[in-house]
Amino acid sequence: MSGIIIQGFLISGLYALVAVGFTMIFSVGRVLNLAYGIYIMLGGYAYYTLAQVLELSKAISLLGAIAVGVLFGVLTYFGIVKRLLNNPIAVEISTLILAVVMQAVIILIYSPAPRAIWPIVPGISRIQNIIISWNIFFAMITSWVVLGALLIFVRKTQVGRAILAVSMDTKGALLSGIDPERINILTWALSGALGALAGVFFATYTQLEPSMWVSPLITAVAVVIIGGIGSIIGSLVAAHIVGFMETITTTVIAPELRGVFTLLLIIIILVILPKGLLGQEET
Amino acid sequence: MKKSLSWWLLFTVLMSSMPLLISTRSLRIFIFANFIAIFAMSWDILSGYTGYISFGHPFLIGIAGYTSAILSHQYATPLYISMPLAILLTMVAGSLFFFPALRTRGTYFALVTLAFMEVTYHLVQVVRPDVTGGSRGLTGLPLLVTGAVQNYYVSLFAMLLIGMGLWALARSGLGTVLSAIRMDEDAVKSAGLNTSKFKLFAFTLSALVAGIGGVLFTHYLGSISPRGMFDINFLFTILIAALIGGEHSIVGPILGAYFLTFLLEFSRPYIPGSWRYLCYGMIALIVYMYAPRGLFTIVTAVENRIRGKNLKGEEYDSQAA
Repeated sequence: MSGIIIQGFLISGLYALVAVGFTMIFSVGRVLNLAYGIYIMLGGYAYYTLAQVLELSKAISLLGAIAVGVLFGVLTYFGIVKRLLNNPIAVEISTLILAVVMQAVIILIYSPAPRAIWPIVPGISRIQNIIISWNIFFAMITSWVVLGALLIFVRKTQVGRAILAVSMDTKGALLSGIDPERINILTWALSGALGALAGVFFATYTQLEPSMWVSPLITAVAVVIIGGIGSIIGSLVAAHIVGFMETITTTVIAPELRGVFTLLLIIIILVILPKGLLGQEET
Repeated sequence: MKKSLSWWLLFTVLMSSMPLLISTRSLRIFIFANFIAIFAMSWDILSGYTGYISFGHPFLIGIAGYTSAILSHQYATPLYISMPLAILLTMVAGSLFFFPALRTRGTYFALVTLAFMEVTYHLVQVVRPDVTGGSRGLTGLPLLVTGAVQNYYVSLFAMLLIGMGLWALARSGLGTVLSAIRMDEDAVKSAGLNTSKFKLFAFTLSALVAGIGGVLFTHYLGSISPRGMFDINFLFTILIAALIGGEHSIVGPILGAYFLTFLLEFSRPYIPGSWRYLCYGMIALIVYMYAPRGLFTIVTAVENRIRGKNLKGEEYDSQAA
């Protein structure tokens, strides 16, 4: 029982970090970025290349991974999203195509073979019979810190409030002298950075492989649908619902069914409550 | 109408004489193109026409393939029973798709269908792996016909029949209603039409086509596996065939499927296999972003330019439809 609670909190922390970048884009741009899983994968591969192939220090590698995420986030915005801004369905299709293209690029560079990535913080502890990996623990702490910082940023700073304003009403924000274009670029950069950061931890939790972008994307989608948009707290709560559900499924029912209930939850919520659990406007 | 029919006739004659012109190895690629064309048309009649974007077509195709594979392989059911049963079950699965579509639209609907596909991918491996073959799938399935030429004709005539059927349907009043749902569903409702009925029809029809394609494809390959079937790359191939060719046209997806196949065939000596998805994807992305109505409209536009007509914008749509 205590095992479920500890594992649940660890995984949920990681999931919150995975999902928050995706939620931000959905809140501000009102588009579902299906290429978001790619930032997670690129973050993982960039860290792997810098830390394990070029043997740079962990801090530099982490920053490098985040930089790659920022670059791809901004590129996605300028290359695809900005040109299709009034058509969310076209954005959805194009970003899915982009994701498959980037998967092919990764296969070309790194081959399809899975790779193990060294944990950022190595070692494990035991509390009674429960194994806690320090790496996942560190991921959870990072997640809480990043989400806390994000919350303060959005609520207290001028730029953060501008992001919030655009997510609520783009036209209204424009009338108050906010440039939605700048806010959009900033959000996509932030989303890429958060995705890549989450990717480094996610890759150490699972492993690096060219198809690893699908499962965090599904987690992020589930979190958005459960938690609603525009709310960091909502994402955090939703990440814990998904995380605990998966932990309980894994320990009580069967490990193979871990992803199934998350997917069923997505289907059921969307069919019963077509506007999502918190009733956000449909795009 | 007459002109279009003569085009279909010309296409049929040309494609039927293909086994005389090319090698057996190339023929296998054409067989693949025919199946992709069937799947892309199935996607088009649902997503291209009504605007409900499906990311779950491999789900429908997989249901058909797996049902027939399990019945014929595990329970020794003859193909002439297992295949119609599988197609019937796929149509039921297609109406399962329909319930979310009653309530969700746009981006969320696509997500629900994607979730359907992923759930099936997991369940097929976990629930009764002794029956479904688990993650390795089933091999050594009975084949419908043997030999490349025979298989080519089966796939070709299935594709042509489906293509002409859907094409005629799309040009009828029914096609007009489906296109109208895509443009403004509420307006269609206000006109006094029961959109749910029309949507259910489009979903079931799409599932019927996916089912036919699915069973024929499975019993052509002789094997089926979760990774080969419920996979994003498979969805990607269907999607880009329809998008490159031009959605909302029925003829477009056929064009797209053949375009992709020719691209593959002629680029084989120059582009290694691992570059394939990359090239496909880039071309699809560029065509989709800069000519969202696809090759079919480009072809029509060029034809009109040559004939001295000058059509712009929406008129392409009415021509395509």
